[in-house]
Amino acid sequence: MTATAVEASGIRIQQLRKSYGSLEVLSGLDLSLEPGRIYGLVGPNGAGKTTLMSTICNHTFPSGGTILVDGENPAENAGVLERMCFIHEDQPYNEAFSVGSILHVLPTFYPGWDEALAQRLVARFQLPLERRPGKLSRGQKSAFAIVISLASRAPYTFLDEPYLGLDPTAREIFYEELLADYGAHPRTIIMSTHLIDEAADLMEQVIVLHEGEIVLQADVDEARSSAYVARGLTDEVRAFAAGRNVIAEKSLGRILSATIRGQVTAVDEDKAAASRISIEPVSLQDLIAALGIHTLTSALTTENR
Amino acid sequence: MKPSMRSLRLYLSNKAYVVGVPVITLFLMVVISVFIALVMGIVVGLPLPAAAEEGFRNNVGSLTALPGFLISVGALAANRNFAMALAFGSTRRHFWTGTALGFAVTSLVTAAAAVVLLALEKLTHGWFIHAPAFDVAAMGSGNYLKTFGMIFVLSLLSLFLGALFGTVFRAFGTVATTVTAIALGVVLMGLIALGVWQRVRVVAYLADWGLWSVVAMVAALIAAVAAASYSANRLATF
Repeated sequence: MTATAVEASGIRIQQLRKSYGSLEVLSGLDLSLEPGRIYGLVGPNGAGKTTLMSTICNHTFPSGGTILVDGENPAENAGVLERMCFIHEDQPYNEAFSVGSILHVLPTFYPGWDEALAQRLVARFQLPLERRPGKLSRGQKSAFAIVISLASRAPYTFLDEPYLGLDPTAREIFYEELLADYGAHPRTIIMSTHLIDEAADLMEQVIVLHEGEIVLQADVDEARSSAYVARGLTDEVRAFAAGRNVIAEKSLGRILSATIRGQVTAVDEDKAAASRISIEPVSLQDLIAALGIHTLTSALTTENR
Repeated sequence: MKPSMRSLRLYLSNKAYVVGVPVITLFLMVVISVFIALVMGIVVGLPLPAAAEEGFRNNVGSLTALPGFLISVGALAANRNFAMALAFGSTRRHFWTGTALGFAVTSLVTAAAAVVLLALEKLTHGWFIHAPAFDVAAMGSGNYLKTFGMIFVLSLLSLFLGALFGTVFRAFGTVATTVTAIALGVVLMGLIALGVWQRVRVVAYLADWGLWSVVAMVAALIAAVAAASYSANRLATF
């Protein structure tokens, strides 16, 4: 692939804005997604995750900014849009159709549709083919969306809260099938989720949205090593954390857990041990929760953009 | 496969719903007409005498039976099928053209079914009891081509009207949909008032051109409604 082709491939977003009336959901967002990776899109409710995916897929119109998918504007661009699959978490279906009749028509939309995979997923999730989508349980609706998304083999697959309502067994099936299919047929997968730690092993890169802006975009391992937790007696932890970038604190009786931004040095470890403070790795969930509730410093935001 | 054909296939994926039900509706209209004739027959005897048969020739059941269902088909297609087609990677333009082709298929099959029912009705001389449901004035008094034309344009108009409501809802929300419905009602009443005011000219026009003039007027309405639906569809969002 030439340098120009590499430059043109993937999703490039610049200064993307989206407002609904006076409510600004996305405010001048810049984002670059390389092809062939799994991205986790996380953030609190109302952060703009679904709006961002909808805007990329031209399901809704941007208020400003540019979106390029493989170097082209996706708006009313059949060549680009037919390579996308985005089943919304609250996807409306025509209730005159059954689950089976919808699956039957999908190969016409996706040249790469994998019928064998669709049938295997339907069997594993025990989806009732004769039932109307509106009569499916919350978990079955999520499973139906997963069947369509994975079997479509769309080069750009968007998953909107795919875990919603799924029981642990069904979630395990989803992990297995996603990783197996992605391994065999690499493509770009963008998945919004709240189950961050559970999905962390699936993601290659995590993107954190907060109030319409990207506050973190990093490889998952890199993000996990960007902070640590110091746990111990409150006074000891406060003394240890003084002068450091504390992004969250949790108290339980006299025990304080402080999430601290930065790397732990050998000197830090010695100092902590002397104060009977335990230094622990931060979970992705805790890190993101900390970013969500903490007033971010401009340095942090800039650092991770 | 051409992108528009995908949305056509989506529209036709439940043929019983988009093709079967309109045909069954016409058949049920015949059943109801025959049932009414049978009840009348208790008093006037069967087969119906000429005067009663003449009364049946003013039956407009074939015109009123279809629009309600077809408007709902059009509205659901423009609303729910639209959301599905977008999710499956369609453009708005290809969704609209594919669905419009689907509307044409529904209208053609329904009109063909009406012609078949008219032929059966003629063959059985009003379902054996002189009770016509299709060989009526509003459908061209037994003319196959006029019956086909009337049912075709009526079906197409109903589907596109439904699609207009569905698309306006997707593009602008519930308030705009209500305003559109009220505006269309006002326009319709205005056209009726215009017709009554200019009744002499209208009657003369109808006398010259007959039922084809009605077909032509409905076709013009279809073009206007389809153009409005297409324009709204370009602005519709998920």
